[in-house]
Amino acid sequence: MGRATNISIAGVGGQGIILAGDIISSAALVMGYDIKKNEVHGMAQRGGAVVSEIRFGKRIYSPLIPDGEVDILVALELLEALRHAHRMKPDGILIANELRLAPAVRPPGAPEYPVNIVDRLRSFTKNAVIIPAARLAEKAGNARAANTVLIGALSRHIDIPKQAWKNALEACLRPSLLEVNFTAFELGRRRGKRRNRS
Amino acid sequence: MSKKTIDYLVLLSGDEAIAWGAFEAGVRFASAYPGTPSTEILEAIVECPGVHAQWSPNEKVALEVGLGASLAGARTLVSMKHVGLNVASDPLVTASYVGVRGGLVIVTADDPGMFSSQNEQDNRHYAQLAKIPMLEPSDSQEAKDFTAAAFELSEQFDTPVLLRITTRVAHSNTVVELGNRVEYEPSGFVCEPAKTVMVPGHARRRHELVEIRMRELATYAESCSLNRMEMSDLRIGVITSGVSYYYVKEARPRASVLKLGLTYPLPERLIREFAASVEKLYVVEELDPFLESQVRAMGLALAHEPAPPKNGELTPDLVASFLGARRRRTRPPASGLPPRPPVLCPGCGHRALLTALKRLKVFVSGDIGCYTLGVQPPLRTMDTCICMGASIGVAHGVEKATGRSDNIVGVIGDSTFVHSGITPLIDVVYNKGSTTVIILDNETVAMTGHQEHPATGKTANGKTTNRLSLEDVCRGVGVRDVSVVDPYEVKKTQKLIAEALERQEPSVIIARRRCVLLDRGRIRRSYQVEADRCVGCGQCLSHGCPAIVDRTPKGARKKRVEIVGELCAGCGVCAELCPAGAITEVSKSG
Repeated sequence: MGRATNISIAGVGGQGIILAGDIISSAALVMGYDIKKNEVHGMAQRGGAVVSEIRFGKRIYSPLIPDGEVDILVALELLEALRHAHRMKPDGILIANELRLAPAVRPPGAPEYPVNIVDRLRSFTKNAVIIPAARLAEKAGNARAANTVLIGALSRHIDIPKQAWKNALEACLRPSLLEVNFTAFELGRRRGKRRNRS
Repeated sequence: MSKKTIDYLVLLSGDEAIAWGAFEAGVRFASAYPGTPSTEILEAIVECPGVHAQWSPNEKVALEVGLGASLAGARTLVSMKHVGLNVASDPLVTASYVGVRGGLVIVTADDPGMFSSQNEQDNRHYAQLAKIPMLEPSDSQEAKDFTAAAFELSEQFDTPVLLRITTRVAHSNTVVELGNRVEYEPSGFVCEPAKTVMVPGHARRRHELVEIRMRELATYAESCSLNRMEMSDLRIGVITSGVSYYYVKEARPRASVLKLGLTYPLPERLIREFAASVEKLYVVEELDPFLESQVRAMGLALAHEPAPPKNGELTPDLVASFLGARRRRTRPPASGLPPRPPVLCPGCGHRALLTALKRLKVFVSGDIGCYTLGVQPPLRTMDTCICMGASIGVAHGVEKATGRSDNIVGVIGDSTFVHSGITPLIDVVYNKGSTTVIILDNETVAMTGHQEHPATGKTANGKTTNRLSLEDVCRGVGVRDVSVVDPYEVKKTQKLIAEALERQEPSVIIARRRCVLLDRGRIRRSYQVEADRCVGCGQCLSHGCPAIVDRTPKGARKKRVEIVGELCAGCGVCAELCPAGAITEVSKSG
C-alpha cells in the first residue's frame, strides 16, 4: 500500500465513535501499517457531534485528514454523515447508519433537520451504503453494537483480512461483549457491498 | 492502556506516551489536576507500578508537591492544561531559580481551537517568562522519547523543563515502540538553603545562575539531537515544531525542514545555517509568532509577511495554502445544517438546578464545568464564565458595586470549588457580603471524564481516603447558612434559593446529585406524557432535556411532546414541573 487510507467516523457523542476508531486502528496495527488516529474528547461527548479520523499506510504524516481526502466516511447518523460528506474524495465510499437523530437542542433560528437527506448524501458520492445498523445490531443481541455493524460493512472495502478484524475486536472489547460483536460484525460485513436504495 | 497492544508496537495517545516515557525514565512521583487535553497523562501513570500518582486540589498545589518530590531527589512529572499553568505560574517562576534534584518535568497541554477551554493562550511564552527549557514533541513516539530526554535535561542543567503539547498531539494516537523502566533511587532531601530558600539574598545569586544556565542551554541546543535539519529541496525551507511539522510534511513532503524539538532556548547558529542554505525561508507554527519573532529578531528575512498572533488551530490545508502547495480541488460543505452542540445529559442534576434558577430570573455568575452548558438555549442561565473559581468573586463584586445581593447567585461545581472557590468564599465572609453560592455537587470531576477529587473520598487510584466535607469547609470559613438539597426537587430547591437571596448574610446551598453518567446502568424508571391530560403548554420543553422531543405539527398552537424512553434517565423534573400532571412514571423493567 503506497498511499494512505483515510477513514473518518462521524456521529453523536455516546454512539461509540471513539471505540470504533480504536477497533479500526487496532486492525491496521496488526497489518504493520503506520497509523495516526485523532479524535476530540471533552465537552463534545455530551451529546454533541463527534468525529474520529484514522489514517494508515506505509508512512503517515498529518494526524488530520486534509480536506477532500477521505476515502471512507463511516457515519453513525445521517445528519453527521452530511456534515462531513464534502470531506470525501469524489469517489469516496459512504457507509452510514440509517438513523435520523435531531440535535438535542435547536437554537432559535437554526435550520430544521434536513429533509431528503439521503438524496443529498448521494449527490456527494455514488458509493453510498446505507444500513439499518441498529436493527442489525439488535438482531445480533444488542442495539448498541451498531458501530460494529458498520465496521463489518467497512471491512469489505479495506484490504485487511478477517482474522485481523477479529483480533482487533478481541483487543478492544470486554470478553462478555465479544459474541454479540462478532455477530454484529458479520451481519454488517454481509451488507457492506450492497448499495441499496433506501 | 494495554488494550491496544499488539506485540512490541502499541498505539498510544500523546498523553499515554508521556506517561510511558516518564515510567521508563524512572519517574517516582506524578501530580496533576484534570483538564482537557492533559487528563489522560495522570490516568495512565496511575496504572504504573512504583510511581506515586495523585490528583491535587489544583495545579498550583500539584506543582508545589511536585517540586517537593523533586527536591527530595525523585524524578517527578506534573501535568496540567494550559490555563492550569496560569494557576501554577507562581511556583513555576521561582522553581526556575531553585532548580531541581530529581528531574522535574512540567507538562502543559495547550488547546488551539478551544475544543474544551475558555481561551487558547500560547503557553510557549511561559518558557521565556520563567526562563526554563521547553520541548515540543510532534507525535506519540516523540512524546515518549522527549519525556525521557526532559528528565535528563532537567538534571543536567538543574532546571524544571516544560514539555509543551497541543490537543492534536495529546489526543492523536500514533505508533510507539515501548522500552523498559530504569530505576532512579531518590537521593533524599539535602539541606542547602542558598538553593532552596528564596529570600532576596539567595534569589539574586540564583537568578545569576539562571542566566548562565540559559546561555549554556542555548549552546546545548545547537548540537542537541532533538533539533534536526532535513535537507531536501533547497528552494523552500521551513522552520517548525510540534504537530505543525507533520502538516508541513503533508503539504510539502520535499521541502527542507528545520524541525525544532527544543524550542526554548533556540539554536541561533543552527537557524542561521539553515536559513543560509535555503532560497525561501518560512516559519510554520500554531497560535502566536513565538518562533517567528525570534527568527526575525536574528535579522533573518522570511518569505512571508509578519504573522499576527493567530487564532484557531492549524490544519494541513491551512499550511498547504500558506506554503503555496498544490492541492486537490475541494468541495464546499453541505449548507443549511442544524448545529449539534454538546448538551447536558438527560437526568443531569445541573439541569434541574439551572431550571430552578431560570424560574427565579436571577443573575448567574457561573464557573468552569458541565454546567457552563447552561448558557445555551433554552436554559440560558449563565451570565459569566471566566476561569476556575471566578463565580464567587464575580458575584461578590457585582453585589458590592450594585449594593444588591437579592438577585445574584454564584454557581460552582464541587471540584471547581475545592480548586479555587474557597478563598473567594472567605472574601465574601470577610468583607461582609451576603452572596448566595450554590455548589453543584455531582461527586466527581465530570467534564474531563469522571476523576476523583478531595470531596469524593477516593484517591486517583480509586482507594478510599479522607473525604473533604463541603459543608464543614463552608461552615469553617464562617458561613452560617449552609444547606444541602437534592436539585431534582426543583420547587423545594427554588424556595431554598429564594430564601437565601433575601437573607442579609452569606449563604451556601449544596445541590447534591451524583453525575447521572456514573449510574447509567441503574436507571429503573422513565416518564411518559399522557396525551389526554397534556394541555400543550410546553413547560417541559423549557429546560432543554434531550429526552423530551417537540412533536408539534407545523402551524399548531398547542404543543405536542414525546419523552423518548431510551434516553429518559428518570429524574422526574419534567413531571414535577408539569402544571397538568400529564407526565407519569413508567418502570423500566427488563
